[in-house]
Amino acid sequence: MKASFDEGQPIFQQIAEMIEDGILNGTYEEDGQIMSTTQFSNVYHINPATAVKGINLLVDNEILYKKRGLGMFVAPGAKAKILSKRRKTFYHDYVMKLLIEADKIHLTTEDIIDMINNGLKE
Amino acid sequence: MAIVLESKKLVKTYGNLHAIRNVDLLFKDNIIYGLLGPNGAGKTTLMDMLSGGLFPSDGTIKVQEEVLKKGDTPKGMCYVREKNIHFPRLKVSEILRVASPFYENWDWAFTKELLQLFDVNPNKKISQLSRGAQSLVGNIIGLASRAPITLFDEPVLGLDVIMREQFYNVLLRDYADHPRTIILSTHLLDEISKIVEEIYILHTGSILLNESMEVIRSKAHIVSGKPAALKDFLSNKNILNIENYGNIEVASVFDEISDTEKRDSQKLDISIAGMSLQKLFTDLVEGVRKHD
Repeated sequence: MKASFDEGQPIFQQIAEMIEDGILNGTYEEDGQIMSTTQFSNVYHINPATAVKGINLLVDNEILYKKRGLGMFVAPGAKAKILSKRRKTFYHDYVMKLLIEADKIHLTTEDIIDMINNGLKE
Repeated sequence: MAIVLESKKLVKTYGNLHAIRNVDLLFKDNIIYGLLGPNGAGKTTLMDMLSGGLFPSDGTIKVQEEVLKKGDTPKGMCYVREKNIHFPRLKVSEILRVASPFYENWDWAFTKELLQLFDVNPNKKISQLSRGAQSLVGNIIGLASRAPITLFDEPVLGLDVIMREQFYNVLLRDYADHPRTIILSTHLLDEISKIVEEIYILHTGSILLNESMEVIRSKAHIVSGKPAALKDFLSNKNILNIENYGNIEVASVFDEISDTEKRDSQKLDISIAGMSLQKLFTDLVEGVRKHD
């Protein structure tokens, strides 16, 4: 989890991403309970309404569901949904940045592929 | 959501001096607001009027949908003034006893907890306390009152960073358990940017900006790049300020930048970063000063 928030992106979106990361790395399991909005507010010093908004975003996307009186839980199939969404944006978010930077410093596609292969071996 | 406090075309003049000019405000229930502005912007004058302590030269104030008349004390409102030295010879415990009957939700257990948390000795006289501790006595009243509308004027003035954090923490915690409308005036902008949900920026008696923090976070950007590329990229954007450093220009922008535009910017060697509330505030105020 991160200790502070980036400027330039609404905090509620960053809260939603943090929860998604938690689901991807197994911190939160499907049908498991996540932190409450009050806990998010306390830990990150944010307005509780912001935490509610972040959680509601994930409820709308069927990543989380609410159990009345108990709190928020991870929906079955949430992990697969997040994986599919993140894979779709991976090219724009990571690969394109990599290619632009590589071009700037005169690295060829082969150089990059070599690095990736060597990196995976380590 | 219900409107709990509003003002329409509020004006306050002192002779030729226009302290507040045509200010419209709207505060809804259970939201934390920030009232921001440089020194002398009129924050305290505005709060004095909203709380019935000062009568406007023109315009109306409504509290819980009732027009505030001259001499009225608004119901369900607690106003923590910046200077809390009306009774310098009273002890802290006496001040609390005097204040508590005005608020029907007053919580004594919470009061004691706050005295301990802020390390305020209830047996000391107000005049014996440091500036920071005096602020804290006011803050304790503001918090313990649990009034449906609570106004804090510069609540962290004179407090060190640890006490400020404590104040924000306990405020957020208590607000989560007991939602209410809270209005904080401050000039420490970046500290409260995560605490408040919506802000008003006041400058020379007028509202410069009224916006939710989420919108501000999605719109406030620092965009930099080579002048020609930047000019093209920002052709239809709301630019607050632009600074030239030879071959590079840095622009403060208050506008949406789409994902597609962000992708394009990478190819154009333009960098986009978020802008802090402090920087947005400075550029807005400077922009107005230049036009004056």
